[in-house]
Amino acid sequence: MIQPSYLNVFLTFAKNSMIRDMSFRMNFILQCISSLSWAAMNYGLFLIIYQFSDSIGRQTGWGESEFFIFLGTIWIINSLIQTFFMANATEFSEMIRTGNLDFALLKPIDTQFLISFPRVNWAQLANAFLGLAVIIFYLHQLLNDPSKKMDFSIWSVFAYVFFVFCGTVVMYSVMIILASTSIWMGRNQNLHNFWFYITNFYRYPMEIYERGIGWALWGTFTFVVPILVVSNVPARVLAQPLGGHWGLWDWTLATMSVVAAAGSLWVSRCVFRVALKSYRSASS
Amino acid sequence: MIALDYSGSLSFSNLAQTRLLACKHPIYNLAMSIIEINHLSKSYRVYQKQEGVWASIRGLFRREYREVQAVRDISLQVEPGEFVAFLGPNGAGKTTTLKLLSGVINPDSGDCRVMGHVPWERENEYRRRFALVMGQKNQLWWDLPAAESFRLNQHIYAVPLDEFDRTRDELCEMLDVTHLLGQPVRELSLGERMKMELIAALLHSPEVLFLDEPTIGLDVVAQHKIQQFLKAYQEERKNTIVLTSHYMKDIQALCQRVVIIAQGSIFHDGSLDDIIDRFSGDKIVTLQIGGPDEVFQGLRKLPNVLEVEPPRIKFRIGRDDVARTLSDILSTYAVEDIVVEDPPIEEVIAKVFTDAQGGQVDDESHPDIAGVS
Amino acid sequence: MDATHWYGRATLWWTFFQISINERLVYRIDFVIGTLMRFLPTLTQVFLWWAIFDAVSSAGSADSASGPDGKIAGYTFSGMIAYYLMVIISRAFSSMPGLTTGIANQVRNGEIKKFLIQPVDMIGCLLVQRVAHKLVYYLIAALPFALVFWMCGDFFVSGWPPPDVMFVFITSLLLSFLLGFYLESCIGLIAFWFLEVTSLTFIYMLLNFLLSGHMFPLELLPTKPIDLRGFVEFMPFKYLAYFPAAVFLGKVEGAEMWRGLVMEVMWVLFFILLSRWLWSRGVKRYSGFGG
Ligand SMILES: Nc1ncnc2c1ncn2[C@@H]1O[C@H](COP(=O)(O)OP(=O)(O)OP(=O)(O)O)[C@@H](O)[C@H]1O
Ligand SMILES: [Mg+2]
Repeated sequence: MIQPSYLNVFLTFAKNSMIRDMSFRMNFILQCISSLSWAAMNYGLFLIIYQFSDSIGRQTGWGESEFFIFLGTIWIINSLIQTFFMANATEFSEMIRTGNLDFALLKPIDTQFLISFPRVNWAQLANAFLGLAVIIFYLHQLLNDPSKKMDFSIWSVFAYVFFVFCGTVVMYSVMIILASTSIWMGRNQNLHNFWFYITNFYRYPMEIYERGIGWALWGTFTFVVPILVVSNVPARVLAQPLGGHWGLWDWTLATMSVVAAAGSLWVSRCVFRVALKSYRSASS
Repeated sequence: MIALDYSGSLSFSNLAQTRLLACKHPIYNLAMSIIEINHLSKSYRVYQKQEGVWASIRGLFRREYREVQAVRDISLQVEPGEFVAFLGPNGAGKTTTLKLLSGVINPDSGDCRVMGHVPWERENEYRRRFALVMGQKNQLWWDLPAAESFRLNQHIYAVPLDEFDRTRDELCEMLDVTHLLGQPVRELSLGERMKMELIAALLHSPEVLFLDEPTIGLDVVAQHKIQQFLKAYQEERKNTIVLTSHYMKDIQALCQRVVIIAQGSIFHDGSLDDIIDRFSGDKIVTLQIGGPDEVFQGLRKLPNVLEVEPPRIKFRIGRDDVARTLSDILSTYAVEDIVVEDPPIEEVIAKVFTDAQGGQVDDESHPDIAGVS
Repeated sequence: MDATHWYGRATLWWTFFQISINERLVYRIDFVIGTLMRFLPTLTQVFLWWAIFDAVSSAGSADSASGPDGKIAGYTFSGMIAYYLMVIISRAFSSMPGLTTGIANQVRNGEIKKFLIQPVDMIGCLLVQRVAHKLVYYLIAALPFALVFWMCGDFFVSGWPPPDVMFVFITSLLLSFLLGFYLESCIGLIAFWFLEVTSLTFIYMLLNFLLSGHMFPLELLPTKPIDLRGFVEFMPFKYLAYFPAAVFLGKVEGAEMWRGLVMEVMWVLFFILLSRWLWSRGVKRYSGFGG
């Protein structure tokens, strides 16, 4: 059986997107600038907040340096999602509406793969670099602060990359599930909004939810829609808000992260497949 | 019908040969039809939107749906190497049938096999062996040159590189678009883009090809070009093609077999000549008559005179009357020339369509409210 | 102008209004869910600020009935949450999703020609359309809004403001609708000169988010090293979110409040005139190019 090379197809997608981006250069630059400024503004907000308070939550360990590592992680994951999937998910909804999904269904290649990757939005990668820079800067600060008992090695870096990957997979799955619902809803105008609202929950350390009805959110977004795990696990690996020692809870979270990645990917495939059954194309 | 006699046709180009190996699929030996459709039905539930603000607000809570039976109980067989046309009025269900055949949508009931596969299972083995081209849509990357989209298809269909280059060059040459390969698709004219679409669909040398109005919106020259191309291509590769079109020229030039679909059902299946025989009882007779203008006064009184332009007169008569009327006329007038021909095909088809729809009008005028949610 | 002319206009706009309402109601599930989702970010804000106030408050106060007792830039915890809730109200009036890009796209793909050929005024049409959309929005959103505000009633410690403040509050909301509309129209109209408006809108959204007080109360803005706090006073953005909320919560009072209202009127007028001017110049330029 001849199999298409998924890698080659992906590389062609990446290359084609690059050609496209480069033929609209002005737009490319403006996109970079605007996403960088959003990040900068976010940064500004917390600089202001840290003027008034030296930690987010009492005794959570999320001081300024730790928190900015968290923020950098969010930027990286967000930027990966926006680079590789956001435009595609939007495009997927649009394809359902216009009936152009027909063509994707004809191709002898996994349909979910085909609709997940065609556009790579290179400009959005800018934030990942910014996140990286912020992380390196604040990690350096932490490591030079003798009052923090950091336990940092090359393994931390590997673990970090691995958990960022897991997190991205979870977010990707959530996005595909959301986008698939447009098959039933006709037009999913709110895809962007949904996305924005859901990602709202994972933008802060999970400790902030640990009070009152917040526990309900905490439980939902840790175990049901595990998006808190997405950001918190890698950020904790690097920032170590409560010191370098991994307790039982850290291991639980780390395991959750891996399980969540595998589980959500599987769920996304199921939802995608079921959704396709209801696809009715568009007349003409 | 026979299993394709490939041994006799091995003199085609290299390309055809490479594909022949792939064609040695068991089903070809069983002398089965390449496309088998049995009692296929598909209906769509469409939301009935009411006029007016209040109706809309009510629609928020309660919706009324209507069933549109796009395809009803179609059965059909197509043999390998056939070139079949689907013909029918707008909304007849042609496109829907093609979508079912290519597995884009699932049917409500019925069964269908193409090359032994159930299309809506969308197996990769099946999808690698056919192609669908839709005239109203484009699948090429809008902002990129067509060449890039072709390259992508090469990877997706896993076409070996040398074979891909060869096919692409050959197709581009046949359609005369080699010089346009590097131009972004959005800057191509409709006709040029359509040619590119065709090439994109043919790069993996599909054995079965579904063409939905491939010549829509094209000028006469471009239409002709595409017809010629399809004809040459099909003669060379002997693949199976199902085409829909509203241009009779396409169908006359290309298809031996015409399936008329109206309101979701097959109304007729046969050659174009059959259709004329079956649905047109008339012939058009043109006479050239010598002599003074007065003789035409008598002829003008004939029923169904279409035009009088001395020395020529054109009229329509029932097929059964042709012999009698002509012999009458020949004995009365000094006829210099006679042409007896079928009415224009467009006219016959128009009549067929009206007939076909006349049979089932009441169905359309009483849309059943299928339910509320 | 004679009466029939005005009558014709009114019916035209009434028809247009109805079409817009209908168009809006088609996507119902989207709509209801979208409205409820709108409150989610506020929910995270509540917890974020709770955690922050917790860190600046005296020990043990965080879980008391009135929440943590610390203050940030003059805001108590309840005050902060009340502010964010009021900002949602302001934004329900002033936000114009898709307006800028809508105009820009029409210019780009030539749909704008329709307005040059037909005797209708584009900005007017869009305004009617927006009014319709907003009304439908309020119709559907009223219930969830009422629910959320009823549940969050405790955050509004000082209760309902006096009638004059209420008057200024409501007026400023209505004005913020107009301000939002004309401001975004102006940005959309820049497409006549500069096709890549979409990226520009992102930057506008960013400024809006920061300077309108949508992100946090403007009192938090720094005065050093640059006086951002003073700067926003001279910008139109603060009327899109901060001003109505601050009026309601009694953060701006008396003469300052009325001065703010007058400024808001001035800004609305300014952007109405600017949009007219941009439109006429843009059209001239557009037809000059031959479309
Ligand atoms: N996705 C869809 N949703 C709802 N109804 C549809 C859909 N696709 C087709 N229909 C309806 O099904 C019927 C058949 O449509 P179809 O597109 O197959 O017609 P067609 O024969 O291709 O017509 P044409 O010659 O105009 O292309 C039409 O009444 C159409 O309104
Ligand atoms: Mg059709």
